[in-house]
Amino acid sequence: MADVDSASDFRQGMIRRRLGGVRHVLLVLSGKGGVGKSVVSATLAAELAVSGFVVGLLDADIYGPSSALLFGIDEVPEEGKGGLTPPTIRGVKIMSVDLFASGRPLPLTGYGARQVLLELLALTDWGKLDCLIVDMPPATGDIMQLLTSLGNAKPSGLVVSMPDRLSTAVAHRVLELLRNEKVPAIGVVENMRRTERSRRRGAQGPAKLAKEFRVPFLGSLPYDRGVGEAVDRADIGALLKTPFAAELRKATLPYKEKLRTD
Amino acid sequence: MHELSLVQGIVDAVQETAREKGGKVTGFRIKVGELSQFDIRLIRQLLADLTRGTSLDGAKVLVEKERCRVRCLGCGSSWDFKQLAGTLSAEEKEMVHFLPELISSCSKCPSCSKSYFEIESGRSVKLAEVILDG
Repeated sequence: MADVDSASDFRQGMIRRRLGGVRHVLLVLSGKGGVGKSVVSATLAAELAVSGFVVGLLDADIYGPSSALLFGIDEVPEEGKGGLTPPTIRGVKIMSVDLFASGRPLPLTGYGARQVLLELLALTDWGKLDCLIVDMPPATGDIMQLLTSLGNAKPSGLVVSMPDRLSTAVAHRVLELLRNEKVPAIGVVENMRRTERSRRRGAQGPAKLAKEFRVPFLGSLPYDRGVGEAVDRADIGALLKTPFAAELRKATLPYKEKLRTD
Repeated sequence: MHELSLVQGIVDAVQETAREKGGKVTGFRIKVGELSQFDIRLIRQLLADLTRGTSLDGAKVLVEKERCRVRCLGCGSSWDFKQLAGTLSAEEKEMVHFLPELISSCSKCPSCSKSYFEIESGRSVKLAEVILDG
């Protein structure tokens, strides 16, 4: 028998209070690994910070965290009176299990991963945020359940899919789950479009998917070598200058507008 | 000092329980898991400081240490924290102090050398019981 949450798991109340100062929570999901959720999450977070929003980035991919690597951070969060202070890089407050594990393996059960995430949510002192971007793990397990039911935070979802049939098939499941969990999707974005041909195929894949679920198709992000180079150097500034980032900026303009007016 | 945040979270939860169920809190019980490596005296001090002058002032507070048992999912052997802690560096102990599940990231089963563990008891601090009058 595991050391289970008691019915009075006091962390739930802590999480409610922590997220009380967060205006919007955006879950970036794809269901499938390797689709580019983490790069989309990091670029969007940095882009929103450049636009003057107060932004947090929570790496919820507990088994394969990459936000700390993307931003080039290697420091344990400081302990303040109000909890753990997330390090701020390029205006983005970042929290990830990797800030503690520092590259060590993470051999966790599903239950263990959930406990790690509950602890990070309960302890992180985000302060007031316009937006908390959540880099979601692949799959649709209990981490997704935990984050789609964050009580007062009322999250919304951004679904990322590659143009191919495998990615869109998994993204279809994610959209269906979001609908079941009553989490609104701000839209679907296609990632890693390689050619004009694949753009047309995308129109049949992610765009068709968006149409089926009656959510906006936000746009198509190109496969961009500059992204890989910027990621290898942990250079967010260079990442923001890529054609990929320019397309993401366009695709998420309506969301930015929503952040301004809500 | 994240102990302060956790203890504040417990105090808030006790008060919330009283509001939800109605009645006055006459006592509450907290278990402090060995894996968290929290200093029990510090937890007691924080509880005294945070309840002074509140509706919980005067309630009987019981703070118990909970022994940590960790079970290897590879061979089923169970271990005490002390049996695993000997091999941990100061940095690793701190990592487990913040996120107890990361004991799996820095320990191997002394019996079969595998890494997947389940924490059976003594994970971190938890609210075990709230006693209300009436």
